[in-house]
Amino acid sequence: MTGSAKGGFPRRDLTFEREPARRVFAGELRESRIHFREGDDEKSPTYVLLPSGERCNRVFLVGTLTEKKKQGEQNPFYRARMVDPTGTFFIMAGSYQPEAMQQIARIEPPAFVAVVGKPNVYETPDGAVLISVRCESVTAVDKDTRDRWVLDCARATLDRIELLGNTPDGERALQEYHTDPALFRKMAYEALSQLSL
Amino acid sequence: MDYTDTAERISQKVRAKGHEVDTVKLEGKLKRLVEEFGVPPTEAERTVMSELSREFSINGLGTAAGEEKTLNQLVTGEWATVETKVVSLTSVPSSAVAQSGILADSSGSIRFVVWAKANAPILSLGKWYRLESAVVDEYRGAANLKIHSGTVVKEITRDTVLIPKITPIQDLSPGIGSVRAKVIQEWETTHERMFQSGLLGDETGTIKFVLWKEEGKERLTPGMVYTIYYAGVDEFSGRYSLNLNPATVIQEEGDITVNSGDTSFSGALVHIAPGSGLIKRCPVEGCNRVISRQNYCPVHEIQPGFLYDLRIKGWLDNGEETKEILVQRETTEQLTGLSLDQAREIAENNPLGMEEVFLRLRDRILGRYLTCQGREIDSRMLVNACRFLPFDPQETAALLNRAGGSP
Repeated sequence: MTGSAKGGFPRRDLTFEREPARRVFAGELRESRIHFREGDDEKSPTYVLLPSGERCNRVFLVGTLTEKKKQGEQNPFYRARMVDPTGTFFIMAGSYQPEAMQQIARIEPPAFVAVVGKPNVYETPDGAVLISVRCESVTAVDKDTRDRWVLDCARATLDRIELLGNTPDGERALQEYHTDPALFRKMAYEALSQLSL
Repeated sequence: MDYTDTAERISQKVRAKGHEVDTVKLEGKLKRLVEEFGVPPTEAERTVMSELSREFSINGLGTAAGEEKTLNQLVTGEWATVETKVVSLTSVPSSAVAQSGILADSSGSIRFVVWAKANAPILSLGKWYRLESAVVDEYRGAANLKIHSGTVVKEITRDTVLIPKITPIQDLSPGIGSVRAKVIQEWETTHERMFQSGLLGDETGTIKFVLWKEEGKERLTPGMVYTIYYAGVDEFSGRYSLNLNPATVIQEEGDITVNSGDTSFSGALVHIAPGSGLIKRCPVEGCNRVISRQNYCPVHEIQPGFLYDLRIKGWLDNGEETKEILVQRETTEQLTGLSLDQAREIAENNPLGMEEVFLRLRDRILGRYLTCQGREIDSRMLVNACRFLPFDPQETAALLNRAGGSP
């Protein structure tokens, strides 16, 4: 029911679209290298290109918080490790994410947690590439939510793999990562196998 | 391409008005327009005709005005001749307008305006007229027939009975529409000139309706079904509303099942916005605004007698799409198991006050999978039912098959 603006005043575009939070296994996020900014504006969103062929600006992850460490004296921040059936996510929260910092402070590992955050790609001086997720929120959840997420993430991974090569991002992923779909099917299969049937 | 037929058609029309034209010359003009200037053939015909009508000062020929059309054939920007019935007269919006209302024939209906300067005879409700050389125009996104000083108005006799076509609410478009619908909500009027407003619904959807104050208008009764002929369909900010002032409203027997337009969306709750949890509202009748912690209402200033309310504002995300949701008190209580009374007690007995309620709500629902049902307005979902989405082992089996299948 969108009306034409013909003859009227141009309507201000009020619809703000929030970046969806992608579901991605640790085993896949770890392999991501390509990151880019869409647009020239300082505030334009930045994306990480996933090997399964989709850009992501935000991720939603559920797993087990296994370790947390507070670092820094003047500007303290938390680094933490979070594990899913395929590997480890590195997550962090600094003084610009006070809510997430307080949430991490209150959670004692090991615990199931749900994380919403933005992935960042770092290169170490010796050329290694690291991906860490800067948290917007970290919430303690139950096992049911973790299991639900594994299903959700497996489905999302399979969906992306099926479209690989049919979307601009999918094509780019094929070129940059030489993605082997079978590998990701195996990853999803193994993650699902760990759930109780 | 051959232009003989077109040229012959034009010359016949001109001859009918008592003028002679050279058909070969017409053909040449048409050919030049179409082949040299890339004008579409119908437009070329129109151009030549209007040139001739200017040359011979013939009215009602020139443009497509000579062509008699039914109302559903009218195209914005064109001249037209129609035979039509006045089915509604509405109060005129300005002194430049002599009359306004709705015209109908068996093909459809259209709004019309008679300019004061047109010096046209006064049209009577229920009578048929032949209108030569009226102009079709667009006003607020809907077609409108303008009767100006060049329009020839003749009263004619027809005994055709017009039965307007009922349109499903979902298919309404700006202009005129007839619906059969049930009054499902009555809203507080927001303007002193407004007589009644609310929501009408049928099997396909819902639409807002407005009835402005006017003599002889009667209120609609909530829960009743009405057949509404010739209502104005207006568009405002991309949403439609039905203006019942020009309409004929007939109360009906029976009931209809209304499609409330509810949609369902599942995903993870990825963000809870400030303003969720326990909030204070302005107690002034009809205000209900959220007020600050210091009890300050932007309109009614300090209100120590505020009312507490409980709600969730947040973003639900399925990995592809993110939707803003607004969960009102009752549904919030059901989902979180925290009642308004409990929330108030927590706030009053805790050093963090209302923030403590926010934190407890957050810990119960953030990062969880939810299914929400509700109405979507301006890309925000007003949730009226919401539940946690459980883990489903059957889905595991299905996905295992998909992942294990051959590439």
